[in-house]
Amino acid sequence: MRKQIRNLGVFLVLCYTALFLQVNRLTILEAEQLQDKPENTRAVLRDFSSPRGDIVTADDVVIATSVPSDDRYELLRTYPEGPLFAHVTGYFAFELGATGVERTYNDYLTGDAIDFSLDRLGDLFVDRDIVGDVILSLRADVQRVARDALGEREGSVVALDPRTGEILALWSYPSYDPNALATHDFAAAEDTASLLNADPEKPLLARSYRENFFPGSTFKVVTATAGIERGGVTPDSPSYPVETAYQPPSGSSVPNFGGSSCGGTLFEILQRSCNSSFARMGVEQIGGDTLRQVAEGFGFNQDVPIDLPQPQRSTFPADVDGTPFSQNPGIVAQLSIGQNDVRATPLQMALVAAAVANDGRIMTPHVMREVRDDQGDTVETYDPEVWATPMSPGTAQILREAMISVVEDGTASRLDDGLEGFVVGGKTGTAQLGTDPPSSHAWIIGFAGPEGETPHVAVAVIVEGQPGASEQTGGQVAAPIAAAVMRQVLAPEGEG
Amino acid sequence: MNLAARRTTELGLLVLGTMFVVGAYLLATLPEDSKIPTTVGPFLGIIVGLPLAAHVAVRRLAPQADGMLLPLASLLNGLGYVFVVRLDEAKARPAGLAGLQSVWMILGVGAFIATLVSVRDARKLERYRYTAGLAGIVLLLLPLMPVIGSTKNGSRIWVELGPVNFQPGEFAKLALAVFFAGYLVEKRELLAINRAFGPISLPDPKHLGPVLIAWAVALVVMVLERDLGSSLLFFTLFLVLLWVATERASYLAVGVLLFAGGAFLAFNIFSHVQERVDTWLDPWGKEKGYQVVQAAFAFADGGLTGTGLNLGVPLNIPVVESDFIFAAIGEELGLLGATGVLVGFLLMIGAGLRTAQQTDNDYERLLATGLTTLLGFQAFIIMGGVVRLLPLTGVTLPFISYGGSSLLANWVLLALLLRISHDAAERQTERMASAQLTEVG
Repeated sequence: MRKQIRNLGVFLVLCYTALFLQVNRLTILEAEQLQDKPENTRAVLRDFSSPRGDIVTADDVVIATSVPSDDRYELLRTYPEGPLFAHVTGYFAFELGATGVERTYNDYLTGDAIDFSLDRLGDLFVDRDIVGDVILSLRADVQRVARDALGEREGSVVALDPRTGEILALWSYPSYDPNALATHDFAAAEDTASLLNADPEKPLLARSYRENFFPGSTFKVVTATAGIERGGVTPDSPSYPVETAYQPPSGSSVPNFGGSSCGGTLFEILQRSCNSSFARMGVEQIGGDTLRQVAEGFGFNQDVPIDLPQPQRSTFPADVDGTPFSQNPGIVAQLSIGQNDVRATPLQMALVAAAVANDGRIMTPHVMREVRDDQGDTVETYDPEVWATPMSPGTAQILREAMISVVEDGTASRLDDGLEGFVVGGKTGTAQLGTDPPSSHAWIIGFAGPEGETPHVAVAVIVEGQPGASEQTGGQVAAPIAAAVMRQVLAPEGEG
Repeated sequence: MNLAARRTTELGLLVLGTMFVVGAYLLATLPEDSKIPTTVGPFLGIIVGLPLAAHVAVRRLAPQADGMLLPLASLLNGLGYVFVVRLDEAKARPAGLAGLQSVWMILGVGAFIATLVSVRDARKLERYRYTAGLAGIVLLLLPLMPVIGSTKNGSRIWVELGPVNFQPGEFAKLALAVFFAGYLVEKRELLAINRAFGPISLPDPKHLGPVLIAWAVALVVMVLERDLGSSLLFFTLFLVLLWVATERASYLAVGVLLFAGGAFLAFNIFSHVQERVDTWLDPWGKEKGYQVVQAAFAFADGGLTGTGLNLGVPLNIPVVESDFIFAAIGEELGLLGATGVLVGFLLMIGAGLRTAQQTDNDYERLLATGLTTLLGFQAFIIMGGVVRLLPLTGVTLPFISYGGSSLLANWVLLALLLRISHDAAERQTERMASAQLTEVG
């Protein structure tokens, strides 16, 4: 028995040696990789009591700042605008970690990412912490207009500058008050968090870029791009038959809203948002795989490289039910009008409008404009860059005119309310959700700017779950919101 | 060995360990504003008083016992206490674990002394082997009973009797160690008979009955109580003792194969076993992997020397004060502190196995081996789970984790080891004395 007991001892020593080696691996060898993992929120916790820069809008409204607190954490993070920018700034909380800009630009806010410049070497000898203020491209005035125009309806408003990718407004209703989560009363913060998490309307979720929806007819802009770029469609031909429904070679027929008849050339069918014609275009001129490739050119099925955490993907399926698109024209017909399995975030649809506005180029969307140190010197600026080029400048030119005609003569006639003197283009959408009772997401995407210039603003608005479902829903419900936001963006400074 | 020296060593080590624990406790609990909270006095009393009480008891009741075990257990227990207090007080809603854990420690040391008082000769436990065996099985399966059994964190290992919750598995393992040691001493010669199957010699199939029963019970615990840890611990205990008693490595092989087979079947049939293994291999981004991922982050923050007591953020890890306390130690005391804990357990294992080697009684030898195996393996599988060396099995870290059942059971375990150690040394002295007498005579 003695020999076995000795062997048992040896075996246990080996077990503990393995433990020792593994602890070495975690604490020393792989420590850096572990600390760099995105789900590692410990940096936030360490930063909790350290000085932290402000988050400021482009029009100088402070939307996140640290104020002295007389408890052991010394500083309390506060959000003076409450829910208005909650989905952008996120929150900076002890147990819940950080989200939004508080998370993505943490290293600037804490000052960790700010290099010492030569003239500040003297600071090394002064007991002062250098932190960075993050200046956003968002404008508080535009954000307020977006909030007021949407009102208490679930939905999102995205406004951005198509020339640079700078986001001007990013609003979703319902929102939440980040102060309730950043409080040092951790028990209360936890309670608030569980309440918010349990809320079926998901106020914590920034639907504007973290949730995707059926895009409905706004997707026809993507289909039209595919038709022009890859299907030989021009403004003059083909002229689609006037019909009440399109019957694909197999699968179910695609009817027009309310049984109406429509057809004609590209501009006409876009103005009327003609389901039968776009379904026919998708099946006869484009094909499902090509349509998917063009959609992916816009950013579908890809992670949007926005400087906010966890963006949701917009999706276009590779096939439906495992059947290739070539054998499934009924599905292709539905996908062509933004139904079946297409899903898009409001941000993605704003980028579709921005591509048309900006000669076919999508600039990387971003919320940060620059970072300043506590002396007010700029230490970092966001350089605009092209993310995707879904279409040629020529195609963009055609679609820009087509979308302008949708405002002038089509379903988006309310998009230029109060925008006299500006060029305004758009496309409505109504994504039907159910028939009993009928309800739908009301969509609009669009752009506006001074005559002869690249439009200064592109927008996407979705109002979710509106009663009724007609092709007019998007134009009536969503267009006035988009118009108000674009008016504010384009208003001369100091007005509005 | 000079017998008085053993107690002097013990006292010296106890004082050293206690100084460390007191220092850690003060560091962890003193507030920044230098106002001393009223609770510090009583808790310091517990930290200092309990090891001393235990020492005095050993001096009276088992004066010749090993001098390392009690200081090591006190050190680990004290360190655990500091962490339980520190973790609980940092919570948004402290659950008063500091007070509760000190009650458990008082009861634990009480049980330690009571065991030394009531078990005056470990060999007498052999008589109660079948009673202990029955008690062990009943305790092990008690959580499966309707009404009193209760499920927490996915494992059905709790029993609720009115206001008292306890994990009977912690006590079952002691009863089973008493049973296995007795049973195997009785049957070891019979079980050691091997039969040749061609070139391989294997245990006679008709003696495999007990192995199969133990295997079946282990599987029941694994499947019905979803308690991988107890199942593994229980089966390991049996297998190790069977091997040591019969000196037949073939039992080890058969047992390992059976367990592997059972585990493989369980993996394929039961989703929760599959989930555990999947989480072990790749915890990233999985809801169930959250704990081990957070534990890994804690160790990474700890580095070589740790963040320092109270300076880490270990509350990120769910139930850190219980199963995952090793991660909090790794974070705040670093590789050095974690290694200290490993060395502490290794030294206890060494002292336990040395006790097993020293005794001249086979029953005591098996019991000491069994108790040491329980302590060493339980610590190994939970720490292994926390650092992702093994799939996670929900057992407590002996002496360190928060929890009454675990503390009580481990203090009793320690008392039994000290009792065997003392008896063995005493008989050895007597033998030497009589040998000298013979020589002189």
